[in-house]
Amino acid sequence: MSAQPGSIVFANQESDDQLSLLDILDHVLNQGVILRGNLVISLAGVDLVYVGLDVILTSVETALRHMGAATQTHRKV
Amino acid sequence: MAAELNARDRVLYFYGITESRLANSIQQPGVDLQSKIEAIDCEGLTCWISRVSAVEFEKDLAQNMENLDWLATTSVAHQRAISAIAREVEILPARFGTVFRGEESLRRHIRVAKREITRDLKRIKGADEWGIKVFAAKAAPTPVPQVRSGKDYLKAKAAQLPSKRSRTESNGEFAEFENALRKVALESAAVGNVSSGQRGLRFQTSLLVKRKDRKKLESVLKKFSERWAGAGQIECTGPWPPYSFVSRPGERAEKK
Repeated sequence: MSAQPGSIVFANQESDDQLSLLDILDHVLNQGVILRGNLVISLAGVDLVYVGLDVILTSVETALRHMGAATQTHRKV
Repeated sequence: MAAELNARDRVLYFYGITESRLANSIQQPGVDLQSKIEAIDCEGLTCWISRVSAVEFEKDLAQNMENLDWLATTSVAHQRAISAIAREVEILPARFGTVFRGEESLRRHIRVAKREITRDLKRIKGADEWGIKVFAAKAAPTPVPQVRSGKDYLKAKAAQLPSKRSRTESNGEFAEFENALRKVALESAAVGNVSSGQRGLRFQTSLLVKRKDRKKLESVLKKFSERWAGAGQIECTGPWPPYSFVSRPGERAEKK
């Protein structure tokens, strides 16, 4: 383990308490199978979680902890 | 009567599609942390759903998406549900917040989109999504500017913020990194609608990488992290279900 700058941080999705909520939202809202026609969907609020809300979202990340913590998987190369 | 009303008050929250179903059921709770994750046969494919409250996920969905506590809990539950399925069988994941009124409307949708879905299932076979970010090394704190008025303060503050333009221009220096990543990935996709405002973020992409090429990806990251030692840090998240590599109807992502 070195504390050198320039390291890579890996956050493993399988133990997601190391993932930031921003990362989760980036991925789960990015694309995925999109509905149309008969389906009922509304993503009207999504625009509001764009740029600049990272500070608020970070505080909301306690939700992740409430849902059961897993082990730390940060590893540095 | 009560059961009928109950069924009417529920909608199908959709997690994604797989080619085959499983012998065992998925034990992970659904997106609302209460409902079960169920598999439904659908046009020769298997759709994964939970029966959730119509009020919470249909009527009030837009409003709930603006409630960060709800969004945090629910998006994590969504991610965990899909990951639980993905651990067993390859899944084409749905976007967060995808809801159908009933099995019939789900089937109709799958019927219409079946060709695209089958093609996408092939496209993601044996591959995972990885998120890559590069952050600039933390600079020394900028001294507080001497200001006399609110206007001066705002001007000084604005001067410290990276402009959109400079962010785009600086992407040129990541061209080589991007090329190296492309060589180990099947495809890349833009990502970052939510996190693009993160402090110090200089570059961001999402990659579709064959599981057998994971080591190659790691060695590219290692090479560039050594090159950028002191100047930047690479952050890698994954493996994700391939959220960013599902075609939108009528809009195929550019293939390599």
